[in-house]
Amino acid sequence: MKALTIVAGVLLVFVFVWERVDVVRVGYQIERLKVQKVLLERERDQLQVKFSALTAPERIAKVATEKLGLVPPQQGQVLMVHQQGEAPSLSLPPVEQIRLARHVSTGRGNE
Amino acid sequence: MTAVPSRGRRYVMLLLLLCGFSIILFRLVTLQVLQAAELTAKADRQHQKTVSFEGARGMVSDRHGKVLAMNVEVPSVFGVPTLLESPSTVARHLSQVLHIRSGELERKLRQDKSFVWLARKVEPEQGRRLEQLSLDGIGVVMEGRRFYPKGPLLAHVLGFSGMDGQGLEGLERRYDSHLHGEKRVTVLQRDALGSTVFPKGLAEQVPTPGHALTLTVDEVIQYIAEKELDEAVTHTHAKSGTIIVMEPQSGAILAMAVSPRFDPNVVAALTPDRWRNRALTDTYEPGSTMKVVVAAAALEEKVMTPGSMIFGENGRMVVANTTIHDHDKLGWMTFSEVIQKSSNIGAAKTGMALGEQRLYRYLQAFGFGQRTEIDLPGEVSGLLKDPKDWGGRSLASISMGQEVGVTPLQMVSAVATLANGGVMMKPYVVSEVRDQKGRLLKEVLPQVKRRVVSPDTARTMMTVLEGVVTRGTGAKAAIPGFRVAGKTGTAQKIDSRTGAYSSTQFVGSFVGYVPAESPRLAMIVVLDEPQGEAWGGAVAAPVFGRVGEQVLNYLGVSREDTVKVALAMKDY
Repeated sequence: MKALTIVAGVLLVFVFVWERVDVVRVGYQIERLKVQKVLLERERDQLQVKFSALTAPERIAKVATEKLGLVPPQQGQVLMVHQQGEAPSLSLPPVEQIRLARHVSTGRGNE
Repeated sequence: MTAVPSRGRRYVMLLLLLCGFSIILFRLVTLQVLQAAELTAKADRQHQKTVSFEGARGMVSDRHGKVLAMNVEVPSVFGVPTLLESPSTVARHLSQVLHIRSGELERKLRQDKSFVWLARKVEPEQGRRLEQLSLDGIGVVMEGRRFYPKGPLLAHVLGFSGMDGQGLEGLERRYDSHLHGEKRVTVLQRDALGSTVFPKGLAEQVPTPGHALTLTVDEVIQYIAEKELDEAVTHTHAKSGTIIVMEPQSGAILAMAVSPRFDPNVVAALTPDRWRNRALTDTYEPGSTMKVVVAAAALEEKVMTPGSMIFGENGRMVVANTTIHDHDKLGWMTFSEVIQKSSNIGAAKTGMALGEQRLYRYLQAFGFGQRTEIDLPGEVSGLLKDPKDWGGRSLASISMGQEVGVTPLQMVSAVATLANGGVMMKPYVVSEVRDQKGRLLKEVLPQVKRRVVSPDTARTMMTVLEGVVTRGTGAKAAIPGFRVAGKTGTAQKIDSRTGAYSSTQFVGSFVGYVPAESPRLAMIVVLDEPQGEAWGGAVAAPVFGRVGEQVLNYLGVSREDTVKVALAMKDY
């Protein structure tokens, strides 16, 4: 009985020491993760700024016109088309309205 | 046997001990009592360091959540001159990374200070390279830097913030109390080597970031307005230009463009003249666009009907010993034609029929001479004299848009009132304020200011103003498939040298709304001193048409010929 008590006592001491060591270990882990979180948040913010800059309408327009050779539709060239009950036999998107560039020219004809 | 010291020796020993203890006691009292406060402060200075932390500045986004301004942590570089052995060598190394002249850095590093900023808010890559160099006495800390990722887009409205994160202009200034992050001062302990010992739980004490703003502005509409305005300013060689696009039913500003533009990311070299939001800080004599207000007042007061006949005096009329001219020798015309042909004489006669007090009352009701109370800084109230200060010609002059100073925002608000059935709304640019967790703190709802004219008058004005575009001076504002209502304005500027109206300097403008029968947009285009043909109908009306068409397409507003197109599709 006495030996059992001693073993139990030693085990308790081991558990206590292990717990203290583990608390310290987890504490370090938490600190590491916190630093990682800060770095990731910083990276997220930097990426968000980059994303916002890359999706700026001015940049998209520049890429569209200079790189892809597109031109803005001129006055009267964009028509709104209502998809009515008797829909045309074209596979139009299932939206109430679509935009259709009827004719695209390369110059600014109205100026 | 041990020898017993003599009594004399014992006294000497005792005396020496007593003296020794007295000296120690005296020193203790000096240090602990007499110099206690001074020494404690000195120790604190050596062992403690006070640092202030500030939460990130709040984000600003457009009505669809597109980011227009946000903070990102970037490196700032500092030096500790007292720790440097060779400032010139360190300065040379730093110069290669920071791209700052070596001499300038060395001058800073030779200062008799324990801390100097060398470069603040530099690029992340520069910070990384400096950390790799690990120069003694040089440190890198992270600070929040304001980024405007869309560059010049909406810059005059957004404004900008300073190096220390304080709002200096535009929304950044107006909403600074919401946008700036929480400021927290913490005392840190330093160890014997001077390293900072961070108190437990400091990470949890990160200051709260500022609140986020959602604007009524749509970045695509803003882009369309800025692009067309820039083109118009370049094409006409105007000094500057302004476009405001407003939602008449709510007063929400969809776009506010000012040209020339500036990039709020780089403002150091610019003057206030460049970043001033002319849409609400600059006044101009509106010229013929003011006839819209005079006509609405005359209809409301039943002084005129659209069919009332007015004689144009063949283009010349003498008022108070001065002559008023029209651009053509106009004869008899209807009241509607007075507006459509933009007759000065017809407008002057309409104003005279109204009388001073009634005209003044309507000018006030339409918001002239007072701020619109938009949530942006720097707005001026314009110039509207009290009738008791009016001269003999004032009634006629004001009726044709002279002797009165308005801002583009006031003018578009007045016309938006007619587009909204006679009810004036308060213009606004911020629709929501949210905290860092996205919780709604403040929601701005459309605010009615007052009813100015009846729905009947507003409807009649719509027909009159539509005639300006279909039959009158505003033909170039027409948008295929939409009914446009509006008015042109060409105002002579006052020549600062002579004090008289200039014959070469004009302000050309167009203000209106579309679609006329169910308005989605009220818009004003103002061009300051366009060269060559400066008529509002020639320079500003086409810009209205181009912006209006693109914006209506973007918003998906149905055209009048939608049904015809749907039928035509069947033939494909």
